[in-house]
Amino acid sequence: MSVLPRLPLTVIGGYLGAGKTTLLNRLLSEPHGQKIMVMVNDFGAINIDAALIAQADGDTISLTNGCVCCTMGNDLFMALGDALDRCPRPDHLVIEASGISDPAKIAMAARAEPDMAYGGIAVVVDGQNWPKLADDPLIGAQMRGQVQVADVLLVSKTGGMVPPSLAVRLAALSRAPLMDLADLPQVAPVLLGGVAPAPQPGALPGGMAAHPAYVGWSHQGPEQFERRTLEALLAARPAGIYRLKGHVLSPDGALEVHVVGPTVDIKPAQSDSTRMVAIGLASQINRETIAAWWASAAA
Amino acid sequence: MAPITVFQARKIITMDPNCPEATHVAVRDGRILAVGGAGCADQWGDVVHDHSLADAVLMPGMVEGHAHMMAGAMWKFAYAGFHDRMDPQGKWWRGKPDIATVVCDLTDHAQSLPEDQPLIGWGLDPIFFTGERLSRAHLDQISTTRPIAIMFSNFHLMCVNSAALAQAGYDHATNVEGVVKGPDGAPTGELQEMAAMFPVMRRLGMDFRGLSQTEAAIESYGAVCMRAGVTTVTDLYSQMEDADLAILRQVTARASYPTRLVPVLGVAGADPETAAARAQALARQGTDKLRLGAVKLMTDGSIQGWTARVKWPGYVGGQPNGIWNMAPDEIRRMVATMQAAGVQMHIHVNGDEASEVAIDAIEQAARHSPWPGARHVLQHCQMMGPDQFARCAELGICTNIFANHIWYFGDQHAALTIGEDRAKRMDALRAALDAGVHAAIHSDAPVTPLGPLFTAWCAVNRQTMSGRVLGAAQCVSVAEALHAITLGAAYTLKMDGEVGSIEAGKFADFAILGEDPLAVPAQALKDVPVLGTVLAGQVHLA
Repeated sequence: MSVLPRLPLTVIGGYLGAGKTTLLNRLLSEPHGQKIMVMVNDFGAINIDAALIAQADGDTISLTNGCVCCTMGNDLFMALGDALDRCPRPDHLVIEASGISDPAKIAMAARAEPDMAYGGIAVVVDGQNWPKLADDPLIGAQMRGQVQVADVLLVSKTGGMVPPSLAVRLAALSRAPLMDLADLPQVAPVLLGGVAPAPQPGALPGGMAAHPAYVGWSHQGPEQFERRTLEALLAARPAGIYRLKGHVLSPDGALEVHVVGPTVDIKPAQSDSTRMVAIGLASQINRETIAAWWASAAA
Repeated sequence: MAPITVFQARKIITMDPNCPEATHVAVRDGRILAVGGAGCADQWGDVVHDHSLADAVLMPGMVEGHAHMMAGAMWKFAYAGFHDRMDPQGKWWRGKPDIATVVCDLTDHAQSLPEDQPLIGWGLDPIFFTGERLSRAHLDQISTTRPIAIMFSNFHLMCVNSAALAQAGYDHATNVEGVVKGPDGAPTGELQEMAAMFPVMRRLGMDFRGLSQTEAAIESYGAVCMRAGVTTVTDLYSQMEDADLAILRQVTARASYPTRLVPVLGVAGADPETAAARAQALARQGTDKLRLGAVKLMTDGSIQGWTARVKWPGYVGGQPNGIWNMAPDEIRRMVATMQAAGVQMHIHVNGDEASEVAIDAIEQAARHSPWPGARHVLQHCQMMGPDQFARCAELGICTNIFANHIWYFGDQHAALTIGEDRAKRMDALRAALDAGVHAAIHSDAPVTPLGPLFTAWCAVNRQTMSGRVLGAAQCVSVAEALHAITLGAAYTLKMDGEVGSIEAGKFADFAILGEDPLAVPAQALKDVPVLGTVLAGQVHLA
């Protein structure tokens, strides 16, 4: 089952009305160049630009850019199996978790399944209503729980600025990077990360991180790390990197690394060189910092 | 004119107050023509007498208002549960009181499997084992080469052997929540929750979708029902796709198919308007043996999993209050939409906070869209007290109570979940009936075995596995319990005009019993033999 590249899975969490669907609509229409499969509970609020729709039948909408949007039916994990078996396999799978659910229960499958890669949990936080929801006697614990498992927090409906009181509350629950959705020129770099490592060092291919709001770094080299050394290196990564992925050579065979926000996932892989890609926000980090961090370990 | 068959029985319990007992029932066109003595149908023309059931006791075919179709097809996997249990073919599988028996019985079972086929078991409940926890070391005694996975009865956990761990790539380096590791840093074989179980299930071909909707699954569900005396059964969270409808219609239409099937469409997470429209479209496609159009909503989790939403004072162990599987906002929106669209709802409620939210939602919806005949049904109702039952009576809400829990989990509830006081008043059929609520009782098969007479025994005796009586004040009479598993359940499915009693005009659906449940001691109710069923006048013997 390991002939095909791993299918990365990103889970979108957040309460009803937080803006998950708006986020997915944005993702599907951006020029990310990836064949994404988006799974939603129902098409209810999905509002894909008619010009983008190539074909719609029953539970699947195919887009002209190669993306697919489908409903997952009642059995999420069966749908996950279907996505893995789909031919050709999508470049990336994005699942919209239902409003009250724990997105980690889905995302953990990407860490468990050898054929999947961890793409992280992005939780959409309603900038206006979240504090009230988080204090609700019935659902407050589950609302706070979503934030606790998030790898990236995306705040919606801020009207220009994340309220400081909200930012403080979220920071107390989570180490995940916090972003105002309105500030993001593109959501694909946040939700999907970069694409394959760039042939020329130091820059990212395609249009992924070309936007000045994002910083991209890539590296290719012969260096090897013991798994434990690699884990320590990743634990000491500079703040401001919100995605890091690639292959790392190690004495016991290569390792595939996926870092999203605070989460690090490492799986065995096959590779003949160490190749890494990182992405962050230009307002929080620069390429030199990332390069210096990696160079310090390689030295 | 279609022929008239008059069945003779030792006794017929009719559940019809106009003629509570009889010895003969006449059938024409699959329906009951007359009930009484040998000559009951003489005024209708020539009759044929059938004496094949003359030694048996007949009662109305039982109605199971909350079960799941996978109760049939689960049996393609090896049974590993604690209690003795009968499969669709009528074979009894020995209960496994300890790990040694699990290993011994599954080793025998493995002999019957082809070399390259994984061994998949189900039904194991470690809550009943003392001491050591099941691990890969035990399952490796069965085989080190054949992958083995044993699904626990709650479907949230499984235990696998080393060969299955290897297939999933789980080893000491795995760092995945739910892949349990021992002191040596290696996986123990226990996998918790779907994400951790998924890689094993995918590689071993454990397809739970295939346990419903396929022809074989529908057939074996019918067989399970027939052996339990059930002639009308729900599939209470049907995931049927439109494509599944044809096969459901085709299989249930066969004269050999012994059951009326009521699939109830699961709508958790769905868009309310879309789901309501789908339910309405399905309702128009039903037949006499396939009833469609109702929907199932989720709210909270389970009490024994500490995921039910319970009111103060919460769980005795201090566990955090449970989780919502549908948010209260979603529940209110779904309830309002379904009520307005005229779609009957079955709503899962285990904890008393969940039942309160559901009742509030229905009350609110009823103010906007009055519908006195809605007969929405709260399902499980485990912690509801007289106050909530009174509100159900006011609002015309039915309750289907999880009586089997008293025996299976009653001791655990008193000791570990909600504590003595509330355990004694759980699954309160007495309180429901006293409040004037239409009530049924259920098994939630395959969570507990399908068997309405056992379910009735639970409601009558309220005995737990340790032998104590849990809340004697909530015991009901045998007659009341029999009503709950026939007319009571039929009412919750809006089928009380067609099934649930033996009286002229209704479908000729009977349970064939070896003894009279009204005559045996109440303690023996569960032991009354079920010999088969009659469905639409056709005899199906176990």
